[in-house]
This record gives sequence, structure tokens and C-alpha cells, in this order.
Amino acid sequence: MNSPQSSAGPAQAPFGMATRFRRLGVRMWYYRYFYLFISPFFIIFAVFGLYPLLFSLYLSFLSWDGLTEPVWVGLENFRALFQDRLFFISLWNTLILGLLYVPPMLVLAFIFALLLNQPWLKLRAVWRATVFVPVITPAVVVAIVFGLMFGTEFGIFNQIIKSVGGWFGLSPSGVPWLESERWSKPSLAILLVWRWTGYNMVIMLAGLQGIDRSLYEAARIDGASRLQQLLHVTIPHMRPTFVFVTIMSLIGTVYLFDEVFVMTQGGPGISSTTFGLFLFDEAFGNFRFGYASAAAYVVAFVVFILTLLIFRTNRSHNE
Amino acid sequence: MKSATKTRPGGMSLGDNAAKREKLFLYLMLGLSALAFLVPMYWLVSSALKTQAEIFTSTPSFFPWPPRFENLIAVFDQTPLPRAFFNTTLIAVVHVCLTLFLCSLAGMAFARYPQAPGHRWLFAFVLGTMLIPQAVTMIPVFVVLTNLNLINTYWAMILPGSANAFGIFWMRQYIANNVPGDLYDAAAIDGASEFDTYWRVIIPIARPAMGALGVLALINVWNNLMWAFIVLRTENMTTMPLLIYLLQGEERTPYGLIMAAGLVATLPLIIAFLLFQRNFISGLTAGAVKS
Repeated sequence: MNSPQSSAGPAQAPFGMATRFRRLGVRMWYYRYFYLFISPFFIIFAVFGLYPLLFSLYLSFLSWDGLTEPVWVGLENFRALFQDRLFFISLWNTLILGLLYVPPMLVLAFIFALLLNQPWLKLRAVWRATVFVPVITPAVVVAIVFGLMFGTEFGIFNQIIKSVGGWFGLSPSGVPWLESERWSKPSLAILLVWRWTGYNMVIMLAGLQGIDRSLYEAARIDGASRLQQLLHVTIPHMRPTFVFVTIMSLIGTVYLFDEVFVMTQGGPGISSTTFGLFLFDEAFGNFRFGYASAAAYVVAFVVFILTLLIFRTNRSHNE
Repeated sequence: MKSATKTRPGGMSLGDNAAKREKLFLYLMLGLSALAFLVPMYWLVSSALKTQAEIFTSTPSFFPWPPRFENLIAVFDQTPLPRAFFNTTLIAVVHVCLTLFLCSLAGMAFARYPQAPGHRWLFAFVLGTMLIPQAVTMIPVFVVLTNLNLINTYWAMILPGSANAFGIFWMRQYIANNVPGDLYDAAAIDGASEFDTYWRVIIPIARPAMGALGVLALINVWNNLMWAFIVLRTENMTTMPLLIYLLQGEERTPYGLIMAAGLVATLPLIIAFLLFQRNFISGLTAGAVKS
């Protein structure tokens, strides 16, 4: 907003069309570096962003495997999609998985953020790094290590359950983490909580540090207990941060891929086939480019509406 | 819990003993959770130092002793890991540099010329594109790369995603807030060309924001399995995540080798994290400024 050119630019004159265009040309020439500097971005963006976005919409009306001649099928892809059992099951699995891991992850992240925000805490950087390392570890590595740890016979989780589980009434043979339809989603949820808590913690920590210190000062003078401070100062002021991490989690869950692809491959059966996996399979397993594009558009639209709703409800709360 | 036992100016808080006990309890909780977060990483390292037989025993040892370095040697010897590491590094370096160049140059332009015709429209357009999920564009991007004969090349990994709308937004905010308008004039009076101004004046000032954006781009490109799986086809083009994925094999998985490769793939990012912690943190919180 503080460019020197803001007032130096040639003024626009209220003349006829031809003059207006000439003036526009003059102004554009005057600002030629603006267009020059943004053009590398826009050229690459046009090829790998804008064109694909429009092409994908067009594709959703075609039947195409990427090799043979595409065929126009109108709304057939959408009709088939709404009758595709696997599509709905994948959405259902995504929803259940999200409900299993997002709430505990956000609560944990908030607790960690509160702890790490304590002024007396020592070794802050060490604690933060510890919770944060999972975020930067390649998903494929995480998924294989967890796959090993979830092993029914030799996995460390079951070894522990076998040795001490009796005390808590757990099955002495251990839990079939990745070998039963019942446990595949909870196993993934454990992995996801481990992997993404640090990311959310860091964002919440930034949110906490943005709260004006004097508010706590005032609350204390008013005799507010620490619990009251948490409920009436911290949490209300963290609302935008909570909204942000919720939306990020929503988007992250819908398009989740690497972790599921490597650890469970969507199985056993289709018990952990999430939408990301379904989409990938349709596109690059079955090469149904048109069908997959239709699915991607429908879900992107739903996610967009949900995001908007989360924003809206939050705003009405604030006002 | 927030601002628990906040110190008063010049002194410790009141109830000293209770406060101490509470702190001790919190440290204990923090320590235990930190341990829980480290277990899988520890499992990665310790498994890399075990033989296959040691990995699959009914009494898994937490301390593989003596440590076996066979896996680490074998993974360099018997798998295309050196090549994969080189490929990943090359792709990451070029992708990060390209992203930084595109986003900082355009970000500066948006910050500097708010009066340019079409400025508002173009910037709104950039913001709007942040909402497009990769899932929607992935098939056409694959088709475009096929038509440009870029499948199974480094460019297939480098180019998509380098025109990062969020990156432009991020750079523009930083430059608009940190570069006083006079600075452009001063540079112009000194006879610097527009590009010189960008290169010699703006980039040094925008370094913190570029560090954060670069780190974000680095994590994304270094760890990207799905896209590598789609666009890379031959062994000599493989990246670290792809190599690790493919090592799993059909029948018998060589876990020792995988863990060793996993360690090699993870270490550079951990080292980078320890060196540039601040940048990492702001890179990942960068997204939060949107809301």
C-alpha cells in the first residue's frame, strides 16, 4: 500500500473510448514492470493451474482413459458417481477416520500449546522439536514404521499388550491392528494423531502468543481464577485459530493419501479406503479420467461449502 | 492453565510449594508425551541397526546390541539409493529456488504497484486459486506433462506446484509490510534498474519470509510420494520416498533396508529443521495468517 507510484501514476481522464484505451495503454506501459514481474508466475500457473482446472471440468463430462479417443457422455459420470457404492463408502470411511483422529489431535495440540506457552518452561525448543519431528518425517517412512509397530505377531504394540494387557483385561493374543476391518481405521487414526499434532500445536502456539497479555492482567485484577481465564480469555480469543485448524484438518482428511496408501492400501477389504485413495485408484489405477474428475469436482464443491459454513457459523457467533 | 503461576514483577509467585509441585507434574507429563512422540522415531533408528531376524522376534529389543551397520551399508550398495538421494536433492533444490523466485518476484510486484491497471483483479484471482485442491487438477496436470513429453523427467516433479498462489500472497504481505515505499525511489535515484532493485534490495529484506516459504516448499517436495509414483517411471529417476515405497516388494519385505533408507531420507530434513527451526515454524504457521 505504500508504493511511491501510488500518486505518481498518470491520472485517468473521462474522455471517449479511443482516448480511454490509449490512456489505459499508457498506464499499462507505465506499469510494464508490474506485468513483466508477475508474468513468470502466471505463465507457469496458466499451464499447471488454470488450464488443468478448466480442463478437469470439461473432462468430467467425458469418458476417457488417456489413450483412446475421448467420448462425450454428458452427465453420465455424475449419475454413475451417485450410484457408486465404493464412492460413498470411501466418503463414509473418510468421515469416520476424521472423527476418530481430529478431535483427540486438536485437544492434544491445544494442551501442548498451552504447556509450551508457559513462561517458566525450560528447554522450550527441545519440547517443540520433539512434537514437531513427526511433521517433517516423510509419510512413507512413518507409515512403514507404524506398519511394523502394528504387526499382529511381532509388532511392539502387541508385544506390550501381551505382556501387560492382562492387567487391563485386554486380549492376551493382542489386537489385529491392520488385519481386521474393525481396527484398520483406529490404527490409522493413531498414526495421524502422532503425525499431525505437532503441526497444529505450532499454529495454536502462534495463536496463543497473539493474545494480548494485558487481558490476563485485567482478568486477574478482576479476580478470575486460572480456569476462568482459560474459559473467558484464552478460548474465545483462540476461536479464529480453532476455525483455521479445523478447516485445515477437514481438507487434509478428505485428500489424505500417502499414509493410507502405504500402511493399509485401503484394506483389509475396503475398510480404510478413504476418498483420496478412491480418487487415485479411479484416476491412475483404472484410468477413468473423466469419472475421477467428476468425483474430484463433486467433493471439492462439498468441501468448499463446508468450509464456507464453518466460517459463517463462526462469524455469527462473534457478532 | 494459561499463565499459570505467572511471576509478579520482581518476584516468584505466591504458593511456592504448590506451584513447584504443579510444575514438576507438568514437566513429567510433558516428558512422558515427548517419549511417546519419540518412540516411532526410535523404532526407525533401532530397526535400521538390526538384522531382519532381530526385527521379527517375539522379544523385540529396544537396544539392538551390538548395532548392525550391515543395513546401512547394504542400502547404499544393493539399492539405487545414491541415485535416489541425488535425484531428490536436485529436484528439491531446483523446485525450492524456482518457487522462491516466482513468488518473491510476483509478490514484490503486487506490493509495489498497487495502482497498476488490473492489479486488484489479478490479486483476487491469485487468492481465489488458493482454494483449488490438488486433487482436482492432478489428472490434467498429468495430461499436460505427457503432452510436453515431461513424464519421467525432473521437470515433472519440479514445475507443478512451483507457481504457488499462497507463496505470492505470503511474499506480498511481507514485502508490503516491511519495505518502505521510499526505498524503491532511493534505489531508482541510485540508478538501479527495476530488476536490480528486486535482486539487491528486496531479496535481502525479504529473506525471513523466503526462508519460511522455502522450508514449506522443501518439505512438500522432499516427501512427495504420490506425485513421484504417478510421473516417475524408471529406476534411474526414482526419489527417496518412491524408492522406500518400492523396496517393500511383493512377498518378503526387507525391513532392515527400508529402515536404513528411511533414516537416510529423514535425516536431511531433521538436520535442516535443527538448523533453521525458526524458519520451519514460521513456514508452517504461515498458512495461519490467512484466517
